[in-house]
Amino acid sequence: MGLLAWVMMGLALWHFTVWLPDRYWGGIVGAFIGALLGAIVFGFAVSGFHVPGRHATHIGTALEAIPGALIGMAIVYFEGARRERAHQSTDIGLS
Amino acid sequence: MTDRQRNGFILLLVAGLVAASLAVIFSKKTVLGLDLKGGVELVYQGEPSASVPKVTPAALNQAVNIMRERVDQLGVTEPEIQTTGGSQITVGLPDISDLQRAQQQVGTTAQLYFYDWEANALLPDGKTVASELQAQDPTALEISQGTTAAAPGSPDVGSLGLYQAVTLAHKQPTAPKSSSQSHVGPVYYLFGAPGSAACALAAQAQHSTPVLGAHCLLAGPESTVGYIQEDLKAAFGNKVTLPQGELITVPQGTVVLQAVDASSTKPTAINSPLAQFYVLKDNFSLQGTDITNPQPSTDSAGNPDVQFSFTSKGQKEFSSVTNQIAKRGLLDSLPGHPLDQHFAVELDGKLVTVPSIDFNQYPDGIGSGGGADITGGFTSTSAQDLATLLQDGALPINLRLISSSQVSATLGNQALHEGLIAGAAGLLVIVIFLLAFYRVLGLIATGALLVYAIYFYALIKLIPVTLTLPGIAGLILTIGVAADANIVIFERVKEEVRAGRSVRQGIITGYKKGLTAIIDANVVTLLTAFILFVLATADVQGFAFTLGVGTIVSLFTAVMATQAILMTMGNSRAVGTPAAIGAAKPKRTWTFDFMGASKYFFSMSGCILLIGALAIGGKGLNLGIDFTSGTRITASLEKPASQKQIQSIMGTLGASDAVVQQVKNKSLGKYVFQISASNKELPPSRVGALRTDLGDRFGAVTSFDETSVGPTFGKTVANSAIEAIIASLLVISAYVALRFEWKFSVPVLIALMHDLLITAGVYALTGREVSTATVAALLTILGYSMYDTIIVFDRVRENIPRMPRAAFSQIVNRSMSEVLTRSLATTFSTLMPVVALLLFGGNQTLQDFAFALLIGVASGAYSSIFIASPVLTHWKEREHAYVNRRRRIEAELGEVPAYADSRQDVDPTPKAPRRVGRLTTPEPDVVSAAEFEQMKRDLEIEEKGGRSTSTLTKRLAHTPIGETPPSQAPQTRAKPSQPRAKPPRSRTNGPQPAPTAPEPGEQAAEPNRESPRPAGDGGAPPLAPDEHPAPAPDIAENDGVAQIPKAKPPQRKPGSRNRRHGRRR
Repeated sequence: MGLLAWVMMGLALWHFTVWLPDRYWGGIVGAFIGALLGAIVFGFAVSGFHVPGRHATHIGTALEAIPGALIGMAIVYFEGARRERAHQSTDIGLS
Repeated sequence: MTDRQRNGFILLLVAGLVAASLAVIFSKKTVLGLDLKGGVELVYQGEPSASVPKVTPAALNQAVNIMRERVDQLGVTEPEIQTTGGSQITVGLPDISDLQRAQQQVGTTAQLYFYDWEANALLPDGKTVASELQAQDPTALEISQGTTAAAPGSPDVGSLGLYQAVTLAHKQPTAPKSSSQSHVGPVYYLFGAPGSAACALAAQAQHSTPVLGAHCLLAGPESTVGYIQEDLKAAFGNKVTLPQGELITVPQGTVVLQAVDASSTKPTAINSPLAQFYVLKDNFSLQGTDITNPQPSTDSAGNPDVQFSFTSKGQKEFSSVTNQIAKRGLLDSLPGHPLDQHFAVELDGKLVTVPSIDFNQYPDGIGSGGGADITGGFTSTSAQDLATLLQDGALPINLRLISSSQVSATLGNQALHEGLIAGAAGLLVIVIFLLAFYRVLGLIATGALLVYAIYFYALIKLIPVTLTLPGIAGLILTIGVAADANIVIFERVKEEVRAGRSVRQGIITGYKKGLTAIIDANVVTLLTAFILFVLATADVQGFAFTLGVGTIVSLFTAVMATQAILMTMGNSRAVGTPAAIGAAKPKRTWTFDFMGASKYFFSMSGCILLIGALAIGGKGLNLGIDFTSGTRITASLEKPASQKQIQSIMGTLGASDAVVQQVKNKSLGKYVFQISASNKELPPSRVGALRTDLGDRFGAVTSFDETSVGPTFGKTVANSAIEAIIASLLVISAYVALRFEWKFSVPVLIALMHDLLITAGVYALTGREVSTATVAALLTILGYSMYDTIIVFDRVRENIPRMPRAAFSQIVNRSMSEVLTRSLATTFSTLMPVVALLLFGGNQTLQDFAFALLIGVASGAYSSIFIASPVLTHWKEREHAYVNRRRRIEAELGEVPAYADSRQDVDPTPKAPRRVGRLTTPEPDVVSAAEFEQMKRDLEIEEKGGRSTSTLTKRLAHTPIGETPPSQAPQTRAKPSQPRAKPPRSRTNGPQPAPTAPEPGEQAAEPNRESPRPAGDGGAPPLAPDEHPAPAPDIAENDGVAQIPKAKPPQRKPGSRNRRHGRRR
């Protein structure tokens, strides 16, 4: 149940990435993977490396996923931006 | 074969099949499932046994055959016994009301073993009885010779309590594996300490009082600790856990057998304080396969027993062991004090009899012709049952009952009635919708739906498919799917007619174009149904089967039958005019900027999911007993009763925490109660006791419906659902990637995930119970959600080559505007029967299906438009070709309009038409504008100064004979300051300024996000509209995206040239 809450929260937050410029590494799909992986990995770590069961899942479990999802998306975003800059400088160099 | 002949043949085929189907419907009986006609259903989990260390399909099938023979001898008509999920067996027994007897008769393993009693029975010090007989050890003598009051092997003749016996067995060394052992591996027992809370709960559950100073059995014997935990959960819910007890292991090579009191016809439960046990070395001499011809009989005292003979191999073994026993008896006996020795018979862990071998009468053992009998507290019925079990043979594997249910015939009939009403209501609503929306086409579709219903019903009877409640739900859903197929094609036909084709030609083209989408969508539904059928549990399988069969039948009726009808009627006045098919008025054009607004829809979905995630965390899912395990009973009483009175009865049965509710159900009577013991499974004996108590206190129990689910079943359902979801996602992705492009499959997956999670969130928010039906519905959503997405993506795929200069968002916007009406219509036609199911399917199972489907289908339609397509757009827009296009459009117009100028569309090369008629018929000569442009490039005959299209090109750009050209492609280009008049077949909303000419440098430019090259930078100057037609799709800009057809050599055939250039009218 904990995993379900994390994935839902990650997916929910990913929906808001459309408001930012598309500089994500891999585009919107890269952001999707970043959000989900971030939510799951962070939630897993915060929960002591186990997935909370049905009775151990509470509202905090869902909230635990928020920082993870944001971190995941941020990593994908900055990596995308870095690659974009590198690509642009290559273009300038070529021209 | 001409079209007319072909259509005539199909119509004849349809009529013939209808006649045959009607014959089947009236001559064959519908096979109803237990949930519709009443009966008992038992679900067993197969577990390894000593003879079969791994549960294989062959072992399961062998077990099924043996169980079938047992059921046949119970006199049950039309039993259903099948393997499910790879390691389970489902047994359906209609018209049976005694759940306990059915369970004993069908699921008993009936493993029979013969032991040399004295050589294997252990004394409390761990020595064998035989080794201490000569020393005249009193306990050894008591166990061997019994007492004057009781025979050897009876309770209290040197026997031990369970805890002492298990402790003794635990101290024995582990023996190496051998073929003469009845058990492989250790066996676990969990005991509660004397006076512990766990023992108090155990005593309460047994309806007894705890024995002072004695350990109590909490769980076991089981072959794994996992099963011990499941037993605990089933018996105590979460009140008792593993650490609260003492786990004791009996090693391989030692067995603990329960002594049976021959004078008592009521068996003593293993956890009863009165139960007594013996500990034996596990080294049997013979087993059940060595006996033959077991028969119920009577012993010398006239008591019922079971007699049998041995097989030739068994006879040899029996002779050998009795020889050893007789010789030992002779050796151990003292003069005047004979010590007869014995062999022991064990049946399923119980020591049923310990007969003696008279060494004086048989000094060399019992030779040929000998037999044996089993005595021990039999009634004539139980002796008959045991003889039957032994005749049919032991089950090769051990079986664990994980779920049992008992449905009364009254409730079954009621469910069937409600299901049929819901189906009829759903069909009626769809018919009304089709007639109102499509007029004559709707009438034809209605006819096709009726034909579909007749075929489907006939197939259900013919195969035969056992019709269950989930099956009815699947059937009702397929009505919607069948209507969907018609809608998709009819919308296509209307589009073609509106575009200027004749009705007949519109039908041909509409079917041709719509077929791809229909097949793609139906293949995905079929794949989902197939995966469900293979991986899911029995209930869900019924649903999957009807869904799969329905999809295939609907393909036939919607594609073949309706096409033949329409083609036959194509020239008649009924459908000969656009008005008759609802295509007289121009199509409503959606002008909404779907992609532009996608941010808001994304945010809306995000908010819904956010709330759902918090609900999942805060409230969680309300899992039904299918997942949590437990027992649910619906009982209809003759006399008035209160909830308190029922609750007190439950308390006496050790289930005081059961929830009792009075429910309204006119069919069942005035006093109907639902009793739910969640997390705690009531054993059949207590269910039987409850029924008796209710009958004694409140008159006759007119209806008794019971479902008991063990923890294993819930796990199986959940695991099979997860497997089915993963398998479906993989298969669907692979299919979409193959049929479209791999980038199309990722948005599909995201949209599916969105739908499933939104449905889960709604369930968490509403607190609605999640059952196996919900899981089946969720899995169906996987297939159905794809239907809409594929319809949209199919149009996107079609428009990509048609719009070689448009940004991807413009392509998607155009595609959406073209298919939105169709999507709304198909969603409506699917939702209608689902709503009918929700409103009229009074049964809980049907309503569970309907609710999940309602949320999922609505979410699926929404996500196809507002999730899958925008994700695809965002992703595709990153491709170089589309980046370049976007830059060019921005440079030309300052921004990217929501919709592309339809005048820039090109007519994509039609595929080579399928050869119809004789092989010798000459192929029609077809060459498109794009092909012609390519040919020109190949031949290097482009006009100087640009890639303008000559007038000849325009003349050559044509469509097959008989068709009106869909557009005057390629269109001429207008100057920005002089927008051209809108062409007659504009596909989109308002006109936009036409772009300036693309620059050759721009086309080949490396994408540079910082400084796109301005328009007009080099290349050809802008051209006057009348001078220069629009260019053909540019390969450099499109980076291979625009599907420029490969140049084909012109097909020149004698006599065909004139036809190509000057079409006959």
